[in-house]
Amino acid sequence: MNHNPKLQNNDHKNIYPLGHSESIKVYESKSDVDIWKAFSKGDENAFHYIYRMYVTVLFKYGCQMCKDQNHIQDCIQNIFIDLRRKRGQLNEVQSIKAYLFKILYRELIRKSNKSKEVVHQDPEKVNNNFSIEFSQESKLIQEEHYKEKYHKIQIAISKLTCRQRQAILLLYEEGMTYKEISVAMEFSEVKSARKVIYRALSTLKSLLQTTSQDKV
Amino acid sequence: MKYKDYDIDNFITDEFFIQWIKNPNENNSHFWEKWMDQHPEKRPLVNEAANLIRAVKYADNPEFTDRMYVETFEQILKADNQYRKVSPVRSKRPLNNHTNKTRKMFYHFPVRGIAASVLVLFCFWAQYEAFNFKPDSEPITEIALVKRANPAGQKSIIDLPDGSRIHLNANSEIEFPQEFSNDLRSVSLVGEAFFEIEKENRPFIVQSGETKIQVLGTSFNVNKKENGSLYVALVTGKVSVNTKNGSRTTLEPNEMLVLKESGTFHKTGFDPKDVIGWKDNYLVFKSSRFPEVRKKLEQWYGVNIELKGGLDENWTYSGVYEDEMLENVLRGICMTSGMNYNIDNKQVTITNPK
Repeated sequence: MNHNPKLQNNDHKNIYPLGHSESIKVYESKSDVDIWKAFSKGDENAFHYIYRMYVTVLFKYGCQMCKDQNHIQDCIQNIFIDLRRKRGQLNEVQSIKAYLFKILYRELIRKSNKSKEVVHQDPEKVNNNFSIEFSQESKLIQEEHYKEKYHKIQIAISKLTCRQRQAILLLYEEGMTYKEISVAMEFSEVKSARKVIYRALSTLKSLLQTTSQDKV
Repeated sequence: MKYKDYDIDNFITDEFFIQWIKNPNENNSHFWEKWMDQHPEKRPLVNEAANLIRAVKYADNPEFTDRMYVETFEQILKADNQYRKVSPVRSKRPLNNHTNKTRKMFYHFPVRGIAASVLVLFCFWAQYEAFNFKPDSEPITEIALVKRANPAGQKSIIDLPDGSRIHLNANSEIEFPQEFSNDLRSVSLVGEAFFEIEKENRPFIVQSGETKIQVLGTSFNVNKKENGSLYVALVTGKVSVNTKNGSRTTLEPNEMLVLKESGTFHKTGFDPKDVIGWKDNYLVFKSSRFPEVRKKLEQWYGVNIELKGGLDENWTYSGVYEDEMLENVLRGICMTSGMNYNIDNKQVTITNPK
């Protein structure tokens, strides 16, 4: 009697083609390497999965370096078109997200170098890239010593370089590993990603330690 | 440097820690929760580090709208078709020309019409996909539970979706999800069952009352008696038992854990035939007093037993029956003690003439 629902499920699979949601189910247990291999071999479901999983985060990431949303949309479109054309000869990819971030970053840089628009060369504008919002739970901010501390942290963050902010956002907002960051930012070594983060946070370190001592 | 010596800046640069905050999974949660239990004094520091990590956000957070999602997808697929129709030489050309070209083409009237109809078709397709989505997602959001219950006098074997097998004793009940989740296999048990668990990475948890028995791959017997005591007997592998009051103990093969309702527990050895013989249809009495004999018979055969006449306080019975009819068992018991029995359908009367 308990077999009924299962049977229905199987019927389902026979009647309908594999939809987005099913491709998610099939692929989410697989490693990035395998998914990428399947995509490279021409597996359309693997492409659906990759598009669905990463297109939104790619767009958000792109928006951190360029304010023109149409332009980012075009770039994302182009990198996917390009990837689909290269199917069959794509190299192994350990982290799909990091790899896509890398090629989107490249595409945006390439486009902005080509375009005659002054906007992207404007140092003021570049400095706005990868801006960080340091948001706190409101109940914490109400506490006086936290308020002061977070104000200090916000000032420290505003003094970071663009590259440092990019690395920190990849680490905290995107939850990437150092290895993934080194791929996305095209560092030759993982060590370099660590260095950038450590240096960026070293200014925060003194702030944080004095405040945590205050508490004790 | 060990985690216990970490200060906040060590935590917020530690990959394993950040992964736990941002992408928690079974492995890192298991570790960090354990670690915090061991170092409760570090909890405030860990919380502060976690808050800091979570506080860092993109200042700009524009939405990738559904329209953009669909439009981009469509353009990508459309480029594919163009590529196929036109000569392969095109791929050598820089790609960024591509969108400019489609943009220009868009302003030609007929192309525009075609594009619009493609978009409409695509919307239908998307709608269809959305419909499709529903039945698939149901088993995920709403976990269907399967319940199997045996009345007295009936035993059963249940095969789980992961290949594990459960022998469910009479008068017992087991409940499990129709499909186990990706990181956990969990069942709840009332009464007695023997488990043969397929070894795999997902832990298998038997919940009996408020006690949790966790294993990876092993065979063991769980019996919760009506007086509230729980007996966990391990045959192969390893199990760990978490009691409701938070203590935890592990068992080695041939060990049995006896957990009293009060929460006290001890370990003993056990006679396999006595404890797990039931699954192979061995009915075993081992110096059993009358109430226990009665209970076992009632459960095994699904009958009701009445005792007429008194019985010596020190009366016990030992014996093993393999796949025997009730009548033969009763005959065996009564013969050794000089008692008589009478079976009337489901009602059994044992009379002691002395």
